[in-house]
This record gives sequence, structure tokens and C-alpha cells, in this order.
Amino acid sequence: MAPIIRVEHLRKVYRVGKEKVVALNDVSLAVEPGEFCCIVGASGSGKSTLLNQLAGLEKPTRGQVFIGRHCISEMDENSLAKFRQAHLGFIFQSYNLLGSMTAAENVALPLMFQGVDRKTRLELAKAELARMGLASRADHRPTEMSGGQQQRVGIARAFVCKPKVIFADEPTGNLDTVTTRKVLGRILKMAKENGITFVMVTHERELAGCADRVVTISDGNVQSDRVLTEEEKAAGRAALGVDQLEDLDVADALAHEKEESGSKPTRNSKHLFKNPIKIKRNAK
Amino acid sequence: MKISDLLRLSTDNLRRRKGRTALTIIGVVVGTCAIVVMISLGIATNVNNEAMLASWGDLTQIQIYNYAYGATETPTLNDEMLNQIRALDHVVAVTPYYQPNDLNGTILSGKNGRYETGVWQCYGADPDALEKMGFDLADGSFFTSDMSLGKNKIPVMVGENFAYNFEDTRKSYNSGKRQIYQGQTDANGNPVQPFVDMNKDKMTLRLSCTDNNGKEKKQDYELVVVGTFVSDYSKHYFTDSGMVMRLSDMKMLEEAYQKLSGTQKRQSQSYMISNGVMMQEKDNGYQEVYVKVDEVDNVSDVESWIKDQGYETYSMTQIREDMQAQVAKSQMILGGTAAVALLVAALNIANTMTMAIYERTKEIGVMKVLGCELNNIRTMFLFEAGAIGLLGGIVGVAFSYLLSFILNNVSSLMMGGDGMSSGLLDAFGSLGASGGQISIIPLWLVLAALAFSTLVGLVSGVVPANRAVKISALEAIRRE
Repeated sequence: MAPIIRVEHLRKVYRVGKEKVVALNDVSLAVEPGEFCCIVGASGSGKSTLLNQLAGLEKPTRGQVFIGRHCISEMDENSLAKFRQAHLGFIFQSYNLLGSMTAAENVALPLMFQGVDRKTRLELAKAELARMGLASRADHRPTEMSGGQQQRVGIARAFVCKPKVIFADEPTGNLDTVTTRKVLGRILKMAKENGITFVMVTHERELAGCADRVVTISDGNVQSDRVLTEEEKAAGRAALGVDQLEDLDVADALAHEKEESGSKPTRNSKHLFKNPIKIKRNAK
Repeated sequence: MKISDLLRLSTDNLRRRKGRTALTIIGVVVGTCAIVVMISLGIATNVNNEAMLASWGDLTQIQIYNYAYGATETPTLNDEMLNQIRALDHVVAVTPYYQPNDLNGTILSGKNGRYETGVWQCYGADPDALEKMGFDLADGSFFTSDMSLGKNKIPVMVGENFAYNFEDTRKSYNSGKRQIYQGQTDANGNPVQPFVDMNKDKMTLRLSCTDNNGKEKKQDYELVVVGTFVSDYSKHYFTDSGMVMRLSDMKMLEEAYQKLSGTQKRQSQSYMISNGVMMQEKDNGYQEVYVKVDEVDNVSDVESWIKDQGYETYSMTQIREDMQAQVAKSQMILGGTAAVALLVAALNIANTMTMAIYERTKEIGVMKVLGCELNNIRTMFLFEAGAIGLLGGIVGVAFSYLLSFILNNVSSLMMGGDGMSSGLLDAFGSLGASGGQISIIPLWLVLAALAFSTLVGLVSGVVPANRAVKISALEAIRRE
């Protein structure tokens, strides 16, 4: 099958004052349709830069990025906006939900840009939220939700218009271990169910255990690019516990009740959820 | 993206920052209000001036002076020339008020012609023009060109107080009873009626001259009053104390007199010295001609055509244009001041929009990454800025109506008339016109104000909106 994402000799140089910083030296890679691809690397390795190039958020210094038949590294900003609208989804580390809108409205944003009428898109958004176990939170604002919930809203927003490719930059970076597992499991399930190509950047190598392909970036170069075997994947999934999805749903629902019966998340208590205890597991 | 969604986003954003939006709108309100009120003052002044001019005379009338002395290149103002003027666009009627130089005669009435007056109040006019010239009749009707009353009978129209011209020839020149003046009252304070009753008494016009042998020759004509004018000096003197007959009758009298006296029309007898140049009097046709034009706005066209022929003219248009220029000048100054207020409001809007964009940088970034097209982002901010302008315009117009109402009523409310209004008018400089309304807001001004304030909003929003479009999505979403 033809790769859905193709990167050819990508180079990105930043100018910082008079100095040149080479973020990406010469990167070439390909991602197959429907693949779950993890880009891992230490901070400063250039992995985020690579993701930005893949998603067309930045122009490369040299080289080309193809998504499907489109060379997105050469599109102008307007065509890129239309292309993103039609084919791409995004999940951010810091959720990036719009504070002025409810969860459902946030999820419906990409549909609004596509010109779907308000009633239809809110219905679709609510269905997507229900799939993320957030049916009861559809009319809440982001500030009234925990970090895990916010990120699930973010995920619902990425999936709602069934894009070809979803890019995620450290989607679990701000979440605790338990929530990370839940969120990741959800992403995995949804991506596979819908046949969506998923590209995730993370510095947590363990998270890459469940991926189909792991690309390791180091100092702006591809250090390794390999497709995991079924055994490796199974082991990785078991280690992460992402297959116990159904159980986690129940656990999530229970956790919900606990949160709500305890102290209702308010503006003042939101930081409790926003920066939960983060267990950092550094990649070797 | 749907327009309705863009509108919803824009209004939501405005609503989110109620206080700031309100302050920005107030700026526009003040600016709009200032401009509308200033313009309304000018409009009212023009309306009042127009009314004032109309009270001075007919605005659609042009008077042609044709001096008997003067430039030789001026074409003769004869019937042919009048026909040319008559043929011009917008000209409704043309008539001379013709008085022959050398017509010697008297108008007699009463038994044996006891009551007498001169013929110098008699004018010859185009019978078809009089009604169009806008004369009002107190009684009777206008004469027509084809009216025929029989031999030696001349139809005439008289001024309201023509009858007071008659003198009683039986009384000596020194007698107080020789004349009755208009408004004269008897011992009981009742008005004294003139000697002659225009509607009952017969009038005779007698041409008379003395030949070389000292023999007096006479010829009589009967004058039949067909109509009486309402006295109005702004229209013409003869509506009060004069008499008008048809031009053809007047010329017939002139010829009859020449035949009677055996003299030719007077020619080249008189000289005048002006600026060291000796000028000979010449017969240059009618000396007093009036042209009636259909619309006030067409007067200057017709007038300039007549001027181009070499005649001197007079019309209210010149005064009117001077007045309008004066008002326009005052309006420019006041409007300019008001425009400064609106300019400040525009800066205000630009500032508000820039602030909003700074605050929403991240939001804009997220929207861009999620595939919002650049035009939609621009439109969204322009909508916001335009809405501020429009809202400000609406409230501003409402306030203008209130202010206008207060201005129009303040004099009667406070000082019962003069004091306050003259004080206000002094403050507004030469805008002051006596009487009438101080401020008039027509519908077009309302619409123009709304359109203009919206435009100001949109224009002020252009730079900030373009700034929003240029925000780098990547940097925006990284911002906290």
C-alpha cells in the first residue's frame, strides 16, 4: 500500500540571532495508512519540529512532506487551512480547548469550520463525547473539568470529523499515569475502529510500546524506524494496560463520582486536576 | 463556515467583554451624535433661510435689468428676445412690466371725472404670465390674451389699494380732503373708504395732449376691472397700488397717443456721463423683465444664460447661494469638530480590537490549526468591529433625536422665546436663523449616520483583523 505520509529529506534550520540551529538535519520516513506511529526522542531531539512539519504548521527549510497525494510543504496558508479542515485532526499537550465554549461546542469546532449546521454538529459532537465517556459533561466549560476530561474532549474534537490523519503532540504529557492509560487506550481504540492514521510524539518510550511503528529521533536525524512485531505490541499493551478498556470505563465513571462527591471542580480547584502527580518515566 | 456561525462567534465575543464593548460603543455614540446634531443644525438653518428668503420675494423669479444707458453690445430686449428666453428649459413664464416713457394721460372716475389719478401706475404685462408668476387674487380673475370687451374697452387688473390713488379734483391741492390715504380713519376710528369703488364705479383712461396751437386733444378708453390682486410688495409694487393691463393694450395706447400728439417715439435725447464716458440713451427694449423658473435649483442655470447675453439680473438665488455657502462653512467647522470625536472613536475601536486579538491569540491559533480559513478569521473580527460601529450608530442616532428635541423645545420651555435661543444661536455662530426649528434630522441623515458609523467600525477593524490573520498558528498555540 502506498504510504499515507511521506517525508523526503526534510531539513529545518532555525535562526536564533546570528546562530543557526539545525532542528532537523535530513529526515526521510513513510507512514502506512491506518498505522499508529510513535515519534519518540529526548527533549530537543527535533521530534516536535518534525510533527509541526508533518502537519504543515511550519514550512521546512528543505525537503518535502506528502500527505496522500498532496505536497503540504508547498501549500499556501489558505489551502493548508482547507486541507487541515478536511483531512487532519490535532490533539495538543495542553488541550487547547476554547474557554468560552462548552465541551460540545469545542468538539463541534472543526465541523463548524466545515460549514455543518449548528444542530447537526452539536449532535455529532455529543455522540463523540458519549463515546469518550463524557456524555454528562457536554454542556460544561473546560474550566469545570479535570485535565483527563479536558484531554478527552480534545480527543473527541480530533476524531469528530473522521479525519485521515491525526497528529498528537505529547497528548498525555500533562496527565497522571492512570489517566494516561485511559486516554491512550481510548485513542488506540478509536483510531483502529475508524482506520485513522495516528502520529504521536512523546518522550515516554513506554507509551510507544503499543504503536505499530516507532520512529526514534535524535539530534535531528532518524535514529531508528521500525515496525513492531505482534509479540512486541502485545507485550507493550499489556505493560500499559490499555486493553482493559471496558474496565477502565467503569473505573472512570466511578472516579467521576468520587471527584464530584468530593469537591466539585471549580475555578479555584482546577489546578488540582491540571497538574496531577506526574510520574515521569524517562526513556533510557 | 456559515455566516450565522461567524455572527454568533462575533457577538459572543462582544458579549464576553461587556464593559469594554460598552465603553467602545459609547465612543462611537458620542461621535455619531455630534456629527448628526451638527448636520441637523445646518439643515434647519438652510430650511429657515429658505423660508426667510421666500418671505422676501419669489425664489424662482429672475429680474432682468436693462438700462437705457450702457454697453452697446447688449442685445435689444424685445419680444423676440423674450421668446428666446421663454423657450429655455425650466422657464415657466416671461413677462415685461412695461411702462411707456411718454404716455400722457389720466384715469378718471366719478361724476364728470371728479376723481382723478395718473397713468404712471399702469404696467403692461404678458396676460398669460401673470398667473404663472404666482400672483394671488383677492377678487375676480386674471385676464386672458384673447379677452375682448368691445371697442375702446380695456380689461385691467388693479392692486388691492389702487383706489386710494384717486384724488378729489374739486378740493384744492392744499386741502386735507383732496386725498384719502390707506389706513385713514374717521373720528370714530372707522376706516375711511376711498373715493372710488373699484367694483362699482366706472373708470376712464383719458389720453390728452396739447398741440402747437394750444388746443387740447383727448381720447377716452373705458377701463374694466377683471381682477384685484392681493397686496404683496415682495411680488411687485403694482399688487398694492398699481394697475396692470395687457401688453398689447398698453402698446395700443402708446400708438394711439403718438397719433394723437403727432410725435414719434422719443429717441436719443438724453445723455449720461459715467466714469468719464459719455453714454447716449438708447432704446434697448423693455427695461424691466421678470422670468419665472420651475424649480429653485434651476434658477442659476437660467440666470447665467441670461447673463451670458449681456444683461444684468437679480434673483434670490445669489443670496441663497451665499447663505448656503455660509451655512456650509459653519457646518464644515462644526462637522469637522464632530469628526474628530468620531476619529477618536475609531481609534478606540481599533484599540479594543487589537486588545481582543492579543487576548485571543491562542484561540485564533487553535482555530487556525483546526482548519479555520483565514478569510473567516478576518471576517469574524470585521464583524465585531462593524457591530460596534453599527450599535454605536443606532444609539447615537437615538441620542441625536433626543438632543434635537431638546434644542427645538428648550427656548419655549425655558425662556418662553428669545433669550435662550439667541444665546444658543450665538454659540453656534452664524448658524443662527431666526424662527423655526433649530435642529432637523431627516431620514437620509439617519441612514447616512448608520452607514457611516458602521463603515468607521469596519475601517478601524481592518488593521487588527489583518493582524489576527497573520498570527502564526504554531506560536499562538504554544502561548499560555
